[in-house]
Amino acid sequence: MIGKVLSANRGEIAVRIIRACREMGIETVAVYSEADRDALHTQLADEAVCIGPAPSSESYLNMQNIISATVISGADAIHPGFGFLSENSRFAELCEQCNITFIGPNSQVIQSLGNKSEARNTMISAGVPVIPGSKEPIYDAEEGAKIAAEIGYPVIVKAALGGGGKGMRVAQTPEEFESSFNTAQKETQMAFGDNTMYIEHFVQHPRHIEFQILADEHGNVIHLGERDCSIQRNHQKMIEESPSVALTPNLRQKMGEAAVKAAKAAHYTNAGTIEFLLEKNNNFYFMEMNTRIQVEHPVTEWVTGIDLIKEQIRIADGKHLSYKQEDVHITGHAIECRINAENPAKNFRPSPGTITDMYLPGGKGVRIDSAIYSGYTVPPYYDSMLAKLIVHAKNRNEAIRKMRSALGEVIIEGIDTNVDYQYEILGHPDFITGNIDIEFIERRFMSKEAAQTQ
Amino acid sequence: MNLKDMFKKTSGRSHYISLRNSRPEVPTGLLRKCNKCGAAIIAEDVKNGYYICPKCHGYFRVHAYRRIEMIADEDSFEEWDKEMDFVNPLDFKGYEEKIDQLKERTNLNEAVVTGKVLIDGNPAVVGVCDGRFMMASMGRIVGEKITRAVERATEEKLPVIIFTCSGGARMQEGIVSLMQMAKTSAALKKHSDAGQLYVSVLTDPTTGGVTASFAMLGDIILAEPKALIGFAGPRVIEQTIGQKLPKGFQRSEFLLDHGFVDRIVEREELKDVLAQILRMHRLADASEVKAALKDEAKQNADEQTETVKEQIRDSLDAWERVQISRKKDRPVGTDYIDALFTDFMELHGDRYFKDDHAIVGGIAYFRGIPVTVIAQAKGKTTKENLDRNFSMLSPDGYRKALRLMKQAEKFGRPVICFVDTPGAFCGLEAEERGQGEAIARNLFELSGLKVPVLSVVIGEGGSGGALAMAVADEVWMLENAIYSVLSPEGFASILWKDSKRAGEAAEVMKLTAGDLKRLGVIEQVIPEPEEFTDENMGSVCEDLDGRIAVFLENYTEYSADELTAKRYDRFRRM
Repeated sequence: MIGKVLSANRGEIAVRIIRACREMGIETVAVYSEADRDALHTQLADEAVCIGPAPSSESYLNMQNIISATVISGADAIHPGFGFLSENSRFAELCEQCNITFIGPNSQVIQSLGNKSEARNTMISAGVPVIPGSKEPIYDAEEGAKIAAEIGYPVIVKAALGGGGKGMRVAQTPEEFESSFNTAQKETQMAFGDNTMYIEHFVQHPRHIEFQILADEHGNVIHLGERDCSIQRNHQKMIEESPSVALTPNLRQKMGEAAVKAAKAAHYTNAGTIEFLLEKNNNFYFMEMNTRIQVEHPVTEWVTGIDLIKEQIRIADGKHLSYKQEDVHITGHAIECRINAENPAKNFRPSPGTITDMYLPGGKGVRIDSAIYSGYTVPPYYDSMLAKLIVHAKNRNEAIRKMRSALGEVIIEGIDTNVDYQYEILGHPDFITGNIDIEFIERRFMSKEAAQTQ
Repeated sequence: MNLKDMFKKTSGRSHYISLRNSRPEVPTGLLRKCNKCGAAIIAEDVKNGYYICPKCHGYFRVHAYRRIEMIADEDSFEEWDKEMDFVNPLDFKGYEEKIDQLKERTNLNEAVVTGKVLIDGNPAVVGVCDGRFMMASMGRIVGEKITRAVERATEEKLPVIIFTCSGGARMQEGIVSLMQMAKTSAALKKHSDAGQLYVSVLTDPTTGGVTASFAMLGDIILAEPKALIGFAGPRVIEQTIGQKLPKGFQRSEFLLDHGFVDRIVEREELKDVLAQILRMHRLADASEVKAALKDEAKQNADEQTETVKEQIRDSLDAWERVQISRKKDRPVGTDYIDALFTDFMELHGDRYFKDDHAIVGGIAYFRGIPVTVIAQAKGKTTKENLDRNFSMLSPDGYRKALRLMKQAEKFGRPVICFVDTPGAFCGLEAEERGQGEAIARNLFELSGLKVPVLSVVIGEGGSGGALAMAVADEVWMLENAIYSVLSPEGFASILWKDSKRAGEAAEVMKLTAGDLKRLGVIEQVIPEPEEFTDENMGSVCEDLDGRIAVFLENYTEYSADELTAKRYDRFRRM
């Protein structure tokens, strides 16, 4: 049964989970590390249990201690949040063994979706598009060229043992292929002492589009529309919005159906996210499925009016989905900015420390999910995200204006933050017109940073 | 700020109605407490892994069949003598009932499991003691199973690996239990005399009659970290002598320091280490050896001997060479081991008292051929030099070298020595343990060693301390190495009562490579670059590689008798 939930996380998501439970009349237990005695989640929960020293490997990743805390406190369910143990199938399995309700999919689903090649095969057999690529290793350019023609240009040649961009080359046209292949193979031989290559379709300037899924234990699966998370720096999302300007109702329906199909093929339950890469020509490819609640879930909550955390708890409790697909309507436009304790001028170096003074905006259409308060000390051990600022308005332009206005009100003293950097992105003409892809930051901002430091 | 008391808490269980009505419960056995650090651990993860506490990295005892799974190739284990009839030689009351209970509880027939396995494709006979069965004490059946396994291994020409773990003799079987020590040891003696390999792996705890028999008889003795290994148990010793024992007493690391263990191996690496040992002892095919050494080697060597004469500089005087031979940045023994050989496996200890760090020895491949390599090892830093005692060997060092040479002889491996010592260690303990005897014993035994022996003086060849590793078929010297009856300083102070006249002494002593070649004390001189360091030793090693190949090709041709006769003549002439 679910009468008391242990939130196995920290920071704003732990607070978010505790709030959802409070509203539902469910008692809450927080777990905290020695560095988080004064953290908001520790104080807000009905009970709090210390699970170990500051390093997360000894506290928030310590499965034994979290299970023990659950049993001792008499909680019956664990909400894992995101990060830490949220996608750890071993942890989910332990919960199953101990008869603890894990608020998320079951351990087998987590495991099979966590295995990249297994997930890819599941999607291929379910008819969900994946990035076309060679199935067998390739050793020479001639053989490769044939496969490249089948896959469709542009293609990327990759080292089988690759990593760090070594042994990778893009060929835009068949004419370029031979030299690209040979260069990549030579590099691979040098770097890894091996000449095994793979070829994949090269997805050019894609957008990161993800679909929110809800699935109950009774076979009902719905999607709650998309989030455009193309504004990323080093694969870290910075700004997310819903809906995406790139999706027509038609494409949304097509991608949404693919997402539902993907979730069904994986026998998915609870809340999950299907990530796609979307090409300019509207081709889209399955990347991976995240088997947890996402940081950016509030934008979906706002445009659909559905409380995802509450739905997660209800699903985990065996209830039917409260909504059918036709009940889901996207209303207005929502944007989220992640506010991090980091210094953009110093290569985004984390900036832990004490928040001496603080003022956060509010008003109509402004939501803040955070775990900070005046006098709070940001510990150096964990993720640097301090808060999420989310706005909602009738349309994208209004939402952008509201976000700029709200960002302009954010005052966090004592530590460095990326607020001004976010403010600048929101004012960029390409962002305003929606001309964005996953290389946006790299192209328009990092070059500038480089120029400034020179 | 303390907000805790200001926030209103959730009031009781109110409006959420749950559909489920089961309560969390940790099933028995899921979580266990580590008996070393007290941490809660997930038993299943530990069992699926290597039985190691994830928190304190302490080792738990492993059941025999799980141990075999850890080291054997999948499905390769073939068990021998699984069922043996119970014996009760003393008609000990209640013994049979106790054994029956244990059989039921452990699913074992007795305290040892034996059979044949493949380890990374290498066949071997294994015996694994299981501490759950009367603390793996050795009764007649344990002794019998081990003896049969060893006998069969001897017959089938297979190596033997035994994982030991035991409380000692089985009290219920009295004197019959004691006799198992002699029986198993005798079987291993036969196995050894047949030229076969035996590796023992000591696990926690190995004590009493097992330590005093098959555990300590391995050609190579491995141990798991921190295992208790001893003859008398620590409690018995404490009670007898009325003293508290020091921390770490009778642990693997203590035995390694005292020369009784070759290596301490982490459990995760055990399979790889055992596989490497087995591979290194696989009988090499004579034609393969030939092929590895042939042709190219000969050509190289011919070319090189041509150029050598020109390369050797005669501009340096003897004293300058003495100083070069002692330079701090000159390559040391371990540099040559790294550069000339592959897969070097260092083996430790003299099996009497100590592991002397002034000497580094073990098995390695030279062009794919297993050889025994022994180097007198100077350090590269002061700290290393203190640990290695500036390459001044103690008697334990010479005994370790001799042990490794005898091991090489048993398995037909050539021996290659690198000599670099100011002299044998001059100290109280060295005399107490018989420095003179140790050196003499090496001269005596080396003269009759039935495998090819090559010694290369790479730096200082200091007196008897050097000679104890240079009773070889050939002795070579690096161009600026020296080899002498004692140091020039010593020479000057004895003859002229003035150690400052060392330079003069160096000239008259005839201690340079060139002089010694002319005297017929050495066979070859290896040219060095100017400012010879480990950075530019590549050319020297290439040269040495070619020469060693030729040496091995020539000397592996000889029979044992021819070899020892030639070696005898070599010194007889002097």
